[in-house]
Amino acid sequence: MSDGRYLKDKAWLYLPFFAGLLIISAIILLLPYETVYVGSRTYLRFFLVTIVLCVGVFFLGTLYNVLLWMRGKGLVGSPEGRLVRLIPKAVRFFLSRRFGKASAVLVKDALYLSKLKDRSATRWLMHLLILGGFIATFVLDLIVTFSLDLLRYEPMISETGWAKVWIRDFGFELAGTMMLLGLVIAAVRRFVQKPKIVRTELPDAVSIVFLLVVVLGGFLLEGIGLLANMPGHEVNHEYSFLGYALSLAMPSSWGQYYDQVWLVHGVMSALFIAYIPFSKLFHMIATPIAIEAEQMLPSGVRT
Amino acid sequence: MKKLDISELDVLALMRYDACTRCGECTATCPTGGEAQDIELVTPRGKILRLREFYKKQYGLKARLFGPAEIPEADLKELASRAYECTICGQCKIVCPAHLDTIEMWENMREFLVANQLAPLPPHEQIVKSIENYDNPWMQPRTQRSRWSKRIEKEIKIKDALKEKPEVLFFVGCTAAYDPNIKDMAIDTARVLARAKVDFGTLGNEEGCCGSTLLRTGLKDSARRMVEKNIERFEEASPSLIVASCAGCYKTIKQDYPKVGKVGARVLHMTQYVNDLIDEKRLVLDRKVEGRVTFHDPCHLGRHSKLYDEPRRILESIPGIKLVEMERTREESRCCGAGGGVKTAFPELAEKISALRIEDAESAGADMLVTSCPFCYQSLKASIDAKGSKLRMSDLMELVRNSLQG
Repeated sequence: MSDGRYLKDKAWLYLPFFAGLLIISAIILLLPYETVYVGSRTYLRFFLVTIVLCVGVFFLGTLYNVLLWMRGKGLVGSPEGRLVRLIPKAVRFFLSRRFGKASAVLVKDALYLSKLKDRSATRWLMHLLILGGFIATFVLDLIVTFSLDLLRYEPMISETGWAKVWIRDFGFELAGTMMLLGLVIAAVRRFVQKPKIVRTELPDAVSIVFLLVVVLGGFLLEGIGLLANMPGHEVNHEYSFLGYALSLAMPSSWGQYYDQVWLVHGVMSALFIAYIPFSKLFHMIATPIAIEAEQMLPSGVRT
Repeated sequence: MKKLDISELDVLALMRYDACTRCGECTATCPTGGEAQDIELVTPRGKILRLREFYKKQYGLKARLFGPAEIPEADLKELASRAYECTICGQCKIVCPAHLDTIEMWENMREFLVANQLAPLPPHEQIVKSIENYDNPWMQPRTQRSRWSKRIEKEIKIKDALKEKPEVLFFVGCTAAYDPNIKDMAIDTARVLARAKVDFGTLGNEEGCCGSTLLRTGLKDSARRMVEKNIERFEEASPSLIVASCAGCYKTIKQDYPKVGKVGARVLHMTQYVNDLIDEKRLVLDRKVEGRVTFHDPCHLGRHSKLYDEPRRILESIPGIKLVEMERTREESRCCGAGGGVKTAFPELAEKISALRIEDAESAGADMLVTSCPFCYQSLKASIDAKGSKLRMSDLMELVRNSLQG
């Protein structure tokens, strides 16, 4: 392949990729964050820089993994060129009728895990709780950030607003509880019951412990906020049911550490995002893509 | 330093290696890795993780930043050998919660190992040479391929498909054509076709190995040559229907041939065709055949081709037969242990697995074990004899023939 073509492929891939990354970073850094609970602007800035870096690492790691797939048999050209040529095909696929059928397969096979349900109800529930909680938290984060910082939607800001109570308090609490329950089942199964089919190596243990630290950190933070009656935590404590229960068991002196715990929780969450492409958790991205790709890729790629 | 060439791994396979969740569901029911011997590297999860670890050491981000790492030759050879301790039965595909098409993955993994000079294993090389030199894996001369039909040549007219161009081409397959203990399978099939007054013939000595063995052991280029030759013969014979009595030949012609060239005729397995003949009343099964029968689903017919009902419908049509199911049946059926080159390279492992299948049949209370694949028949029959089991091994076409009056 000529150098010109190779450079052109790279340019077509990396220029839009880095432009997209720059736009996401700019959005993260430039939002006003006037309604965040943390008091220290230094902590907030430190977190924002960390999350921008971690999101960058996540996307770069994911791109690197995808480019490794593109080295395989069945497509022609450089890995970058193959990916660039697959993107319009993927877009056409998403816009086609076939995508409707493919989405149904995706929901049934990758999200609902139909096969696992028939083989082990406990493991199916465990996976559904973790994945469902993770997706719900991600979606809620987007909704809350958008409605607070762009729309300045009053019911999301006011202590007694319906959106504040049901989405920011109850919604996040429910999603977190789902993840926590799923992770507890996973931890008991992996570290206590140890069924024969389970093999625990470092990547398996790290993934569970990392996610547990992030989720428990969220509840701890909520509990401290309620304990200290921080702004946004003054009324309707029962909607944050688990955080509220934790706050009742905490010494009152912990209330002063809200900002520090907020920063640690934020940084841990950001690091977790960066860790995904380099861990077994990458299957969250690879499995749905593999299921969809089977229906999307030309048949030659599959032989 | 040996640098692995990953360009032989399919794009989809590389995705699937990353999509594996390491859950281990596949390890429990894997006949070679989980049941017959408890070796993680033989299980689907073990193979996936080890191969991924190897290529990421040379192509992953760390390799990109700090240079590719060397993988000891012994480790590569161990992976190659373990990868061939797999019958490609497809049980892992059935249980995988991530819906990985492991059948495609294992065949492709073997192509990758061959491309990287880590395979085929020495016992497979003998078979490859035999197929390339004699068109069959049994080191038998081409001129002996149609010898099985001598016994019935006065009784039945089997047309020379290349000259007489019959409507139906019966693809006999190497095992039924050459193995003296399996020849009856071809004879019974021919008798059944003749009784239904089917206008059929064979390619005689011109029939070549279907290429299944080559494909399953990763020798795609050698297989391609065989496939092209057979497709040419199909074109010359121009039948409207090709019927295979071997499950492996059927899967190969039906699923793999279209990737190489166009097969103009419809392709059916004998169990499908006989079902049609019974439905059309061209075959009337009216003679009683007594027996408690259990059916072993050949992997290439069941999990690979999803044909589960056809053989059972035939059995239920035979008067006197009581069909009983083994605990592991249909898509959960335990493999006979012979496929994927295991019987050739690891005969003791194959025997261990087939012995488990015989126990399954005995536990079901059957007195007859029936299948529809010469390779499964060969392996299960040997296990029945070795074990001194009271089970009688039978091919489905034998029962059909026995049930025909006269």
